[in-house]
Amino acid sequence: MVLTVGIDVGSNAVKAVVIDDSDSYPRILGRGRQKVRGADLADVVRGAFELALESAKVRESDVEYVATTGEGENVPFRTGHFYSMTCHSRGGLFLVPGAAAALDIGALHGKVIRMDERGKVLGYRMTSQCASGSGQFLENISRYLGITLEEIGPLSQRADKPEVVSSICAVLAETDVINMVSRGISAPNILKGIHLSMAGRLLKLVRSAGVEGRIAMTGGLAADSGLVAAMTELASDQAFSIELVAHPDSAYAGAIGAGIWGAFRHRKLAAAAKGA
Amino acid sequence: METLLSPIAALIGRCEELIADLDLGSVRAWRAAHPGKPVIGYLPIYAPRELVHAVGGLSVGIVGAGEELEIVRGDACFQSYICHLPRSVVELGLSGKLDALDGMIFPSTCDVIRNLSGIWSLSFPTKWVRYLDLPQNFDHSLGGAFYRQLLDGMLHELCDLAKLPYERADLRGAIRAFNANRRALRELYALRAKEPWRAPTSEVYVLLRAGLLLPADEHTKLVERYLELARARDARPLDNARVALRGAFCEQPPIELVKTLERAGCYVVDDDFLPMLRWPDTDVDESGDPLDALVAAWLDTPLEAPSRYTRRNEDKGVTLIDAARAAKAEGVIFAAPSFCDPALLDRPMLLGALDRAGISHTSFKYAENTGQMQPIREQAGTFADSIKLWGEA
Repeated sequence: MVLTVGIDVGSNAVKAVVIDDSDSYPRILGRGRQKVRGADLADVVRGAFELALESAKVRESDVEYVATTGEGENVPFRTGHFYSMTCHSRGGLFLVPGAAAALDIGALHGKVIRMDERGKVLGYRMTSQCASGSGQFLENISRYLGITLEEIGPLSQRADKPEVVSSICAVLAETDVINMVSRGISAPNILKGIHLSMAGRLLKLVRSAGVEGRIAMTGGLAADSGLVAAMTELASDQAFSIELVAHPDSAYAGAIGAGIWGAFRHRKLAAAAKGA
Repeated sequence: METLLSPIAALIGRCEELIADLDLGSVRAWRAAHPGKPVIGYLPIYAPRELVHAVGGLSVGIVGAGEELEIVRGDACFQSYICHLPRSVVELGLSGKLDALDGMIFPSTCDVIRNLSGIWSLSFPTKWVRYLDLPQNFDHSLGGAFYRQLLDGMLHELCDLAKLPYERADLRGAIRAFNANRRALRELYALRAKEPWRAPTSEVYVLLRAGLLLPADEHTKLVERYLELARARDARPLDNARVALRGAFCEQPPIELVKTLERAGCYVVDDDFLPMLRWPDTDVDESGDPLDALVAAWLDTPLEAPSRYTRRNEDKGVTLIDAARAAKAEGVIFAAPSFCDPALLDRPMLLGALDRAGISHTSFKYAENTGQMQPIREQAGTFADSIKLWGEA
């Protein structure tokens, strides 16, 4: 059994997965996730790591390789670190077989990563500095509206008359939303408007990367069913031939990719040591 | 709050403080403790520091101001397409931060440093300024004779500055001191190439840079102490990509850049930082005529840097490939200063040589005041991943 742990240190949350890569196809044995929220990052990382071990029912000493990604370069107990795109592409391919790209939407940025059938990164496009296409922006909006993050997707899909929101700037968009609330616009219509605005920006990004076909949604916002629905709807209106696929483990894609690459490296290093 | 640092962190912290002090406090202190002894600055990439040491003086390497100094007067002296180093050197000089220096040596590294020597002579007419025309003809009877005469003239002038009879200059002793210093640095580089987790480049780099400011003997002791601590350090290897770094022989990268490369998953196992401290990589002869020994070192021991003439094109890159292989580097990162003509003109030839040798590489540019590390982090991170996942290692 080759057991590895992938840890994705994001700006909002730390995700960890335990991967068993001993068979022909990797399996996820356990998961752990902890929000950062101003806590000591080292404690959060350790917490997510231990949660994952616990849910996989394995001990730390059983793990052959701890692979980090995201901001995990300083995790002291890591074996190796991989760049986030390298991990999201591999994790996306694992969750959505046949995907030609991964669309990673996290707390701060959106990124489309083109890859080959092995998960090797071929190219990428990233949103600019503006935060209005990010998870952090949606989190702020949910606070203004007094709803939980989990409610955003289902509410958005109940909209009957989406209200157009500024797609240029998070500051302006947030002002728009406050105005809408005071004008009595319903939460579903506000949320759908936001989702359509974000979807427009993200589809532009996908188009600029020259991606078509199956796309694996990764990162925290892949779990936002309202955003996925808005993107699918808009892509259909634009006759853009893409298939957006979210997976229940999409938020763990970076950690999964790191874990799988960790197993790959473990084997490669073991073979090199044997050869030497 | 009092913090207890490990001995190695304290040693590196001391080096960082030395480097960060643009007012050269340590040099001023040395000067106050050694009245009458000349303090001579020198620019990259090489100057015979032994001459200054021989008259009891202190040689001080000047490599700019990093990102800590706002450049105003320096920008007035150079066009926009000139590298950053001379701007910050002018700014340091005109703002009085280099007042502790009695003189400066400007080696013939490139046109910019030649122009800088002229600007310096005009700006500081009372200071001793020497343009060091390092010969590019390596024939002993031609370049050698010329260089010996040049060094001899400089030694006479330094003796005058120090008010020391020429016969009492201890050049052989100086050669011994710098040989010992370079031996310690070679040992440091060997440890890093073998076990980079014990001697990370972010530490090696600041330790090296401290050598620009400290007397040779003091720096040698510091390096030896670091070696002792690093060998005993409780550290385990990470699965990082081993890379050689090239292009940083003159304008130095910010320390943060080196840390960024390490955070991105690279072990820098070979580099061309500060050849002025590390070249030549063999001992200078301590037995014969000391001036002849310095001349022979320059003529006979190749300093592979773009500023030194390479007669045959096919020889370009040979030393780099040998060094990368000796250090077991899996790839080469070219990190050259923006607008550095020597580095950037050499780069295509070196890349070609690496391609032919099957060694992967990536390139980017920096300036000594580069603050935005994210693009470098991305590039170095993806390069390290490509080596680990798609390379042969």
